[in-house]
Amino acid sequence: MAATDGDRNAETGQLEFSLEVPFPSVREATVALRSLAPDGEPRRGGISKQLAVTGSTLSVRWSADEARILRVSVSSFLDHLALVAETMEMFGPPVAQ
Amino acid sequence: MQRPAKWIFSESEKLAAMTVVIGFEGSANKIGIGIIRDGEVLSNPRRTYITPPGQGFMPSDTARHHRAVILTVLKEALEQAGLKPADIDCVAYTKGPGMGAPLVTVALVARTVAQLWGKPLLGVNHCIGHIEMGRLITQADNPTVLYVSGGNTQVISYSERRYRIFGETIDIAVGNCLDRFARVIKISNDPSPGYNIEQMAKKGSQYVELPYTVKGMDVSFSGILSYIEEASHKMLSSGQCAAEDLCFSLQETVFSMLVEITERAMAHCGSKEVLIVGGVGCNLRLQEMMGVMCKERGAKLFATDERFCIDNGAMIAQAGWEMFRSGQVMELEDSWITQRYRTDEVEVTWRN
Repeated sequence: MAATDGDRNAETGQLEFSLEVPFPSVREATVALRSLAPDGEPRRGGISKQLAVTGSTLSVRWSADEARILRVSVSSFLDHLALVAETMEMFGPPVAQ
Repeated sequence: MQRPAKWIFSESEKLAAMTVVIGFEGSANKIGIGIIRDGEVLSNPRRTYITPPGQGFMPSDTARHHRAVILTVLKEALEQAGLKPADIDCVAYTKGPGMGAPLVTVALVARTVAQLWGKPLLGVNHCIGHIEMGRLITQADNPTVLYVSGGNTQVISYSERRYRIFGETIDIAVGNCLDRFARVIKISNDPSPGYNIEQMAKKGSQYVELPYTVKGMDVSFSGILSYIEEASHKMLSSGQCAAEDLCFSLQETVFSMLVEITERAMAHCGSKEVLIVGGVGCNLRLQEMMGVMCKERGAKLFATDERFCIDNGAMIAQAGWEMFRSGQVMELEDSWITQRYRTDEVEVTWRN
């Protein structure tokens, strides 16, 4: 798993953070994306999060007004990711489509 | 394949023709996963997050509890049912209402296994889960429903494809009132505060008069809670009454209110059946009081025990089964959870 520092974007003034998570295959990366994507951020405004799959890598990009909000969102995302990964380990691999 | 005029099915063909749904529930302090095959509960394991006396359960701690046990409970559900993932036809989970963090935890696992196993996913309204499970277990056909738990208090009647709310609490749920009173006098939360109040109430002998707050078809419990909180500090320290008397008085008062609004809903609808669901519904004193009212009206009372009254996975599987069989589908991107989700928002596609 690779992550960038939470830097402030000079143009937008927003704090940004990104994460790249490798999976064994495109299929598994897609399962993770579709499990993690439906629930939006609990608070309205102040933060946005984008998920995408490129090859077998799940990438996530955050953009936030405040470090505190960013930290909460990233930390809760990591908890969720760990649960999804553990579920895939115990109850996977995905059946053939 | 050509079938003979009179179809004969083998045992394995019959099983294959049945619909198996797995249900995931975790909207409050219980995490449960149940499997239903055409009305038969194949498994229904559950764990409860129990906090020390005097403390309630907070969303993040509750989510952490569910997170720690959910995969073990899922394994148990499959093993006890003797099923493989391939035998399952549909995955159902609680979409809401409930506490956000625990709902998300459970939804994440449901979404993941639905994709891993290649099964459709359905989001269930928690209240509808209680109603459908109650109907399945008791075989009540078209009852007036009293739904009473730690988070909800509603009198419901079915009409025109909706479970319509005839009366409800205007502030806190009846179970929340009981739970918070238990915290005030430091009653144990194990197995549940309500159960312990019920046991203590049996030893109460003195009735302490409390506010009785029925407002039309609705009820209010927050004022009763404030009143009894203050009264308990004064009366217990001065020895005017025992904690058992307060438990007894609180139960008698709030249950009378619930019986009153249920009876009024029955009169409105001309209903001859009452079904009690939700965690508070396993209180035998509430069932007894409701039974007296039903007898007077020539109506029939239906209730279930703690296996199905208290939140469980099978109830979500059962509502999911009805939704699945009536052709409902849900896209994965629409599977977000919601803390607020009223009973009457759901179109009941499986009843006439």
